Amino acid sequence: MITFEDVTKRYPGGTVAVDALDLDIPDGKIVVLVGPSGCGKTTTLRMINRLVEPTSGRILLDGSDIADTDPARLRRGIGYVIQQTGLFPHRTIEDNIATVPLLSGWSKRAARARAHELMDLVGLDTAAMARRYPHQLSGGQQQRVGVARALAADPPVLLMDEPFSAVDPIVRASLQDELIRLQDDLHKTVVLVTHDVEEAIKVGDLVAVFRPGGHLVQVDTPERLLAEPADEYVRGFVGFDRGIRRLSFFPADRIVLTTGTVLPAATLAGAAVAAARRAGASWLLVVDADRRPLGWAASAALESAPPEMPLSAAEFVPVGHTFRPDTDSLRAALDATVLSRTEQAVAVDERGGVLGTASYERLLTAIRAAEDAADQAAAAGRARAQAAAADSGRAADRNQAADRNRAADRNRAGDGNRAADRNRAADGSEAADGAVGAQAAAGGDRSGGGTA
Amino acid sequence: MGFFTYAFNWLSSSQQWHGAGGIPARVLQHLGYTGLSLLVAALIAVPLGIVIGHTGRGRFALVSLANIWRAIPTLGLLIMMAVLLGFSALTWLIPLVVLAIPPILVNSCEGVAGVDPDLKDAALGMGMTQWQLLRKVELPLATPLIVLGLRTAAIFVVATATIAAEIALGGLGRYIIDGLAADNYGEVAGGALIVVVLALAVQLFFAGVRRLIVPTGLRSQGKGPR
Amino acid sequence: MVWSWIPQNWTIIWQYTLDNAFLGLVPPLIGLIVAIPLGVASVRWRWTYPPLLSLASAIYALPSLALFVVLIDYTGLGNLTVMIPLALFSLCILLPSVVDGLRGVAEPTRQAATAMGFGDVRRLFEVELPISTPVVVAGLRVAVVSSISLASVGQLIGVSSLGYFFIDGFQRDFPTEVYVALVLVLALALVCDLILVAVGRLLTPWQRDQRGRRPATAWLGGAPWRV
Repeated sequence: MITFEDVTKRYPGGTVAVDALDLDIPDGKIVVLVGPSGCGKTTTLRMINRLVEPTSGRILLDGSDIADTDPARLRRGIGYVIQQTGLFPHRTIEDNIATVPLLSGWSKRAARARAHELMDLVGLDTAAMARRYPHQLSGGQQQRVGVARALAADPPVLLMDEPFSAVDPIVRASLQDELIRLQDDLHKTVVLVTHDVEEAIKVGDLVAVFRPGGHLVQVDTPERLLAEPADEYVRGFVGFDRGIRRLSFFPADRIVLTTGTVLPAATLAGAAVAAARRAGASWLLVVDADRRPLGWAASAALESAPPEMPLSAAEFVPVGHTFRPDTDSLRAALDATVLSRTEQAVAVDERGGVLGTASYERLLTAIRAAEDAADQAAAAGRARAQAAAADSGRAADRNQAADRNRAADRNRAGDGNRAADRNRAADGSEAADGAVGAQAAAGGDRSGGGTA
Repeated sequence: MGFFTYAFNWLSSSQQWHGAGGIPARVLQHLGYTGLSLLVAALIAVPLGIVIGHTGRGRFALVSLANIWRAIPTLGLLIMMAVLLGFSALTWLIPLVVLAIPPILVNSCEGVAGVDPDLKDAALGMGMTQWQLLRKVELPLATPLIVLGLRTAAIFVVATATIAAEIALGGLGRYIIDGLAADNYGEVAGGALIVVVLALAVQLFFAGVRRLIVPTGLRSQGKGPR
Repeated sequence: MVWSWIPQNWTIIWQYTLDNAFLGLVPPLIGLIVAIPLGVASVRWRWTYPPLLSLASAIYALPSLALFVVLIDYTGLGNLTVMIPLALFSLCILLPSVVDGLRGVAEPTRQAATAMGFGDVRRLFEVELPISTPVVVAGLRVAVVSSISLASVGQLIGVSSLGYFFIDGFQRDFPTEVYVALVLVLALALVCDLILVAVGRLLTPWQRDQRGRRPATAWLGGAPWRV
């Protein structure tokens, strides 16, 4: 746990880079510091490994003041990844990665072996690249080496300063996914700085939003940040369509699906029409023997078709995009619905077999339920925290929003394995994290909808 | 006695200051050798360097050539000239010019060639002809390095002119060579001291030239061993 | 040109060549040893560099013969009288090389090293100086080549080098000596330069596979033309 206690950084000219910061960074979480240039996020990060020293206030690492530790030793226990990588041009990849172990006294063999381990971990081909030099690698590969190097001595804390900003969007997305995957394995305490709020939302367990002048405005889970931005500034910073983006954090498994309108291709038109009338549906989903979707058949067209005609002979409107309730988010489901020509999304399982269809109405019901559950859970969490705060007689600090959020942080700190939470939507954009916020605030409830 | 004591003793005796072997005469000789050689070298090397820098052709060969120049032992060159040509004006002029050309040539070339390609692009884009590009953009921007080239050449010419006394040339080296031969350390010291002062004065001169010629915005560039 | 002179006098030719080589190689090394701490200090305390540089420029402008002569009173007529000024000249060349090399280390690289837990001294020796090697080697090449040719001037005050043959050939009116010595000085400079290039390449394995041709300064005395 890293704690900032009333930390201020003031430069000789009078500039205040960080203003009276109180922040708790829980163990094993990815905390993203986000904000525009000049908001102090990088300065804050660099105070953790003492590349910058605070003007006032304390920073505690696992309870002890980092000012009491020798800086070089402190830094060997903290991984540091920067935008321009800072790889040593004069050392091979494996020697670059082995730097901190060697500094800490490992044998050359042990250090190199560890380097190879890490290359595998970050997805670099050891045989091809271990003996190469940085300038021979692409930007994305160099950044992976940077991450490997930071992890070499297995530090509990990893600091990342705009690590993915210098690569193109496609590489960036894959590196972000890589980080999430690594974190599932390694459970480091990660502090990441970015100016990109999308990256913060995708990658962070907690997002700390800063305002120019070094003020921390809000610390929350990504879902909460999108749901309840603390003020106009955060609202503007987070950007528009946050309602839709928030949906990435709710799993799609709560949608009540319609199965009555899903018919095998062998069904005869007559039976199909009857089924359509029963369900009051203007479209029928036709599936093959493996229950894979073939297309939508219009019931109106079927009515004028000969009753003995099998559905397979009908004209189909293509199914288009499908979604998987077990892994996708409500956002993916919404996307599939919007893209569908028939205003219904098709839900499939991992083999591609149809589970059912979802109309707009069903989708909206699920959305509302998920949002309500999340809001209630957050409110319950706040109430518990305030009670706890009142009990321990702590004085309220300046920023009310920060107070509320810090209390909520403590609750979330108790949250365990987020591996199961991390759903990555097939559309590749934001992490479809089911209900980290709701789950955490509810103190361990697995459901993405229900109980508070 | 120390070096300075020897030198001041010798300098303070008034006979050093008069006559054909006197200090003023020798200083003028020395400056004469230096000035003439630099002038000839500059007349050859500056235009040539500018052309090579502007067109880019022959640049690689030029840099290699210039680096070979450093290896030439000046004493050997002077003596070789004396052996070949006997005692004539060319005996010292040729070596001094040959030694002065490479720094002027390379620096003029690099000065012109080193102009930011974006600037050249902008200039041509504005409709300048090659000649205008050279005159209005490349040359002004090249002046710091051209002056540096002249200054560097001056260092070597002044130094070599000092040694040229060995092959019976005049100039301030005369005192050193003759003094060594006559075991008159006072003369040696005095001559050395004046040469040092002269060398520094020449450098100051070029610093002044730099201030005069180089456009204000470029003053911080090319200021000597950077 | 009397060719037979060469094999007849091979012993002394070789002796003077070695003397010249000694005078050409040791002073630059001394200059380098002094230039490194001075260069580190110049980078660390930026305000010291301009005055140091001005001083270096001034010293470099002084004719070598004058400097030799100044020292006679203090160090007599031995090797030291020539070696000290040559070392000074080398220092004037190498100080900017060291400073440029150190400054050329990319800031992210330096910061990453600090952030990984390198102390200042370790960072200097394990990261910054190694990365500076190409620039320093280039400066060293200039210093060595210059020293080899300047060493011959020392003959005027009796310090032996290949310059002996210049003077002797001139006094005896025997041009063969002069030509041979000229060629030898050039050859010695070329050989030393090539050796330094090889050493430089050995020390910088990371530059080996770079695409594109090595910069045009790959010939004799490869430093960017400054002085």
